[in-house]
Amino acid sequence: MRMTGPLERVLGAFVADPAVPRYGYDLMKAAGLPSGTLYPLLARLEHQKLVASAWETPQQEGQRPRKYYQLTGEGIRIARLELAQASARRRRAPARPGHPAPGSLG
Amino acid sequence: MRGERRLLHLGEYLVGRACQQLPQDVREERYQEWAAELPAILHDPQVRFAPRRAVRMLGYAADTQRGTIMTPCTARGQLPRLCATANVLLPVAGLVVVALSIWSIVRAPGNGLNYLRLAWGLLIVAYHLRRRVRSAGRATTLLGISATLAAGAVLLGEAAQAPRDWVNYVLPAVVLLPLLVGLPLAWWLRRLQARTGGRHAAPSDP
Repeated sequence: MRMTGPLERVLGAFVADPAVPRYGYDLMKAAGLPSGTLYPLLARLEHQKLVASAWETPQQEGQRPRKYYQLTGEGIRIARLELAQASARRRRAPARPGHPAPGSLG
Repeated sequence: MRGERRLLHLGEYLVGRACQQLPQDVREERYQEWAAELPAILHDPQVRFAPRRAVRMLGYAADTQRGTIMTPCTARGQLPRLCATANVLLPVAGLVVVALSIWSIVRAPGNGLNYLRLAWGLLIVAYHLRRRVRSAGRATTLLGISATLAAGAVLLGEAAQAPRDWVNYVLPAVVLLPLLVGLPLAWWLRRLQARTGGRHAAPSDP
């Protein structure tokens, strides 16, 4: 799994509460990603069996059911590991010139 | 109310257009999923102003077009069938190149071009095997680039055997030029992605 910024944000949104199934718009808001970025990511995570999806039962007549996504057991394990590694990498990486590390000023 | 319905219809139209690019077996499911979000965005209680909600809904619907392009199963017309055929034929072609090169090496062990052809064939086979295991990743990319470079080298080697005929250099140029243009572009995109923390990154294999 190659960790990219969008992927990190999606996994972060899932891991915040892994027991709660999330629908697309909810994830878009939580991860701050547009639909064109989010859905291909979800499709790939689902293809890798890290995320499982299920359709909700419509509560009102004529209402379209929504599709909910949730990390699988393996998905939770891998997401936590990858997020921890990404966080550790960021801590280890030296601050670029002109971009001081947070907290290094004043 | 009528304006709202029109907006929803417009959103559904955009989502429908985007879904047309998907293979038939997933098209309906994706349409249902994406269209179900439209009313939720239009009535999102967290967004205060109705025009803003409408813009968000239309932005969501329009951006699904990009989503279908980036989705791995995207299909339009004959392209997926062609890709599937190429995925079967290219490894077979690689094996044929390997077999013919070995045969040529046995017959003329002193010809360096045969060894180059053998390396090319092996790289094609390795690239396709690797793609089956993992469709993206550094090793897969490197194998793909190496196979293309080897193809260019083989074609250049063959062209060098009749150096005065410029036509022989057209094929190596067709193989190598896209790579020479594409590699710096890919490098630049990666740098941009690293600089922006992935904000400009196309979603790649997780």
